[in-house]
Amino acid sequence: MDFNLQADTPEIAAFRKEVSDWLDANMKEGEHIRLTGIWSTVHDDAEYLFRRRLAEKLGRKGWLFPTYAKEHGGGGLTTAHRNVLEVELDRRGLPLGNVFYTRAELVVPAVTMFGTDEQKREFLPPMMRGDVAVWQLLTEPHGGSDIATCRTRAIREGDDYVINGQKIMVGHHTKADWLMVLTNTAPEGKRHENLSWFYIPADLPGISYTHLNLMMGVKNAVYLDNVRVPAKYLVGGENNGWKVASAYLVLEQGGGGSLGESTLLRNVVARCEEVQPDGTRLIDDPDVRDQLADMMLDVDTERLWGMRNYWHYNEKTPHRYAGPQYFFFQRMVRLRNAERLQKMLGYDALVPEERYDELGDFEYNVRYGPGMMHGGGTLHTDRIIISRCLGLGRNVEGKRQAKG
Amino acid sequence: MDFRLTDDQRMLQDAARDFMKTEARSDQITIWYEQKTFHLPEIWEKAAGLGWLGMRLPEAYGGAGMGAFDCGVVFEELGRGPLPGAYFSSGVLAAEILLAGAPEALKQRLLPAIGDGSAIVVPALADPSNRFGAESVTTRLEKAGAGFVLEGSKRYVQDGGAATHFLVAARRDDGRIALACIARNAPGVSVCHQQGFLIGASEVRFERAAVDPADVFGDWNTVEDALTRALPILGAFITGALQEISEFTNAYTSERIVYGQPIGRYQRVQDNCIEILNHLDATRWITWETLWKLDTGQDARAAARQCKAVASEGYFQGCNQSHMVFAGPGTDYRHPLMAHSVLAHALYPYLGSPLHNKRAMMDIRFPRKV
Ligand SMILES: Cc1cc2nc3c(=O)[nH]c(=O)nc-3n(C[C@H](O)[C@H](O)[C@H](O)COP(=O)(O)OP(=O)(O)OC[C@H]3O[C@@H](n4cnc5c(N)ncnc54)[C@H](O)[C@@H]3O)c2cc1C
Repeated sequence: MDFNLQADTPEIAAFRKEVSDWLDANMKEGEHIRLTGIWSTVHDDAEYLFRRRLAEKLGRKGWLFPTYAKEHGGGGLTTAHRNVLEVELDRRGLPLGNVFYTRAELVVPAVTMFGTDEQKREFLPPMMRGDVAVWQLLTEPHGGSDIATCRTRAIREGDDYVINGQKIMVGHHTKADWLMVLTNTAPEGKRHENLSWFYIPADLPGISYTHLNLMMGVKNAVYLDNVRVPAKYLVGGENNGWKVASAYLVLEQGGGGSLGESTLLRNVVARCEEVQPDGTRLIDDPDVRDQLADMMLDVDTERLWGMRNYWHYNEKTPHRYAGPQYFFFQRMVRLRNAERLQKMLGYDALVPEERYDELGDFEYNVRYGPGMMHGGGTLHTDRIIISRCLGLGRNVEGKRQAKG
Repeated sequence: MDFRLTDDQRMLQDAARDFMKTEARSDQITIWYEQKTFHLPEIWEKAAGLGWLGMRLPEAYGGAGMGAFDCGVVFEELGRGPLPGAYFSSGVLAAEILLAGAPEALKQRLLPAIGDGSAIVVPALADPSNRFGAESVTTRLEKAGAGFVLEGSKRYVQDGGAATHFLVAARRDDGRIALACIARNAPGVSVCHQQGFLIGASEVRFERAAVDPADVFGDWNTVEDALTRALPILGAFITGALQEISEFTNAYTSERIVYGQPIGRYQRVQDNCIEILNHLDATRWITWETLWKLDTGQDARAAARQCKAVASEGYFQGCNQSHMVFAGPGTDYRHPLMAHSVLAHALYPYLGSPLHNKRAMMDIRFPRKV
């Protein structure tokens, strides 16, 4: 049993030094930039350019997808190297999976698993090198929980598909270069066997976008109006889209874990330790201490489960329910922390402070808590998934047989 | 980072599982808890034979000098039972208190006896019912001639009924706390079992009970040091308990058919199972990390208190969630849940409630200025 994130072999220690020096040098120009969340209401050109440039530079070194094959733009490195990148980036305010605004983290594994050799050669390198921003288009206006009831149609016409439909609550406040779109290719077909998964350029004729102003940031409605898509953009084959999507939803739903530390907690503690105008410190207030203690317990559980999932995922030792459990808990913790912030800080929790990056800002977290509850499925559907993983109410036959 | 058990730990785990299977089957445990049988001499001796009393004691005191995690592996299996007995209070907590501060002669006398099971040494720390910590010590250790006498009453001493000796926290004439070791059958010591929704707790009274000055040592810091090393082992015990509750509750959701379908299909019931699971894994992971900290010589003071807070809260809430699933049948003392339900309540205030331990964690991490 070893919880150490930095028990480095000499080789890894050298790599840590290399990464650390490199990040110090290459993140210098961003020193004064306030880093925003993955979806944000704040759009700052300087930040956007800085993060995209940084991603491109990291991508060129194979450091955005460190454990993937070099031939596709990955780093050809080990999990230990990935740990280093994950931890060192996190320490500087950026998660490895979101150096800039893209969901390539989800698409890369899907294409790797289901793409043809040609698709891999064409699609993977730009994503892994950080050259393109990718959005995930699943949710539709009639309801996002039941994504298998997909109304966006893709009809085969010669060498092309023609896509019609609407997606909602997708993407980021910055623009997309590519889209992954779940479509229905056989409306009369069997459920889960009638969907197809496309990876398409975001600027094809017929695609239009509208920003949605949401409590946790900007997402978009995307309209697909007779969008003509060459068949080479279909990944995983016709009517196989549910399998493709399922493969990476495991990742979106917490299966990959994380090695990050909570910036929010760090900032709250620092804030509570400051001497206030009246000479007191919040951290000496018994009520604040109780709130903070509960926050620490929650955040620590989240941190430990993040490590657990990360380890299982990278060791390729599957864990029955770890992904959705972590995903559910993480969102409950955000919600509880949002409430705790108000209890501790009062009105101050409702006003943004420029000195904190957005993810560690109190005001952002107050609306992020309730706003982020539904990304990648709701708290209710999370629990349906956990229950399936546990086999609740489903082992009747198995039990009967076991009893003979 | 590596979350695998070592081969040796796996062997320990198997041995503990076999032990529980043969010595303490679930139906048997249910009866012990119903009848409040808190000490089982035969099983106690067998556990001693396996080296499970005082597992962490250095070889010089007859122990095996095992790591904290190794010890946790065994306690997790005992917790699955949950096996009644002073395994933790004597074998872990008392042993750690003695190691942390007892004079050598006392260590020589008691530690090997703890390990071979012939002595059951039980800490008697807090006096009142609802508090823990240095403030909670009011029993007096008065000077009397060349020695001392104890005067006072410890209302709830977990495993007190099984004790051959007590380690008593008491105040000297100048108000400082000291620890005094006294035999249960010493004149002036009386033990009275507490009856109620708990198990193994006794009121221990001291009426001018004479203590040999050679058996007086340490201060409250001695207790705190020992708690840092002991609480995570209790965390492991509760991890096992929650694992068992989670497993039998989940299984029941497939067996019980109500309104024509297994109750596990109802989302309310699923929510109960998930709450248990989350308490289980919160407890497991903070426990594992804290045990690892102990084994690698890191500061585990705050983490140990956190561990007790998370574990006790989780055990308590986990039982309540399981009660919601089992409904009527789960309230029968002959139901396996009831053993856990009783113990979860008894362990809630033991060595400080969750609130006490969270505050202790905060005081360690952020000492108060006012
Ligand atoms: C921050 C954020 C980011 C997002 N990012 C993306 C993205 O990148 N791409 C994308 O495609 N979508 C995205 N979404 C959309 C998200 O996936 C949907 O909001 C989510 O799937 C729920 O769909 P809905 O909002 O339409 O709710 P509905 O499906 O309409 O659900 C309404 C209510 O019914 C409940 N419900 C539904 N089914 C059941 C059931 N079987 N049992 C019990 N209760 C049920 C739900 O829990 C909810 O309370 C994002 C959403 C958020 C908030």
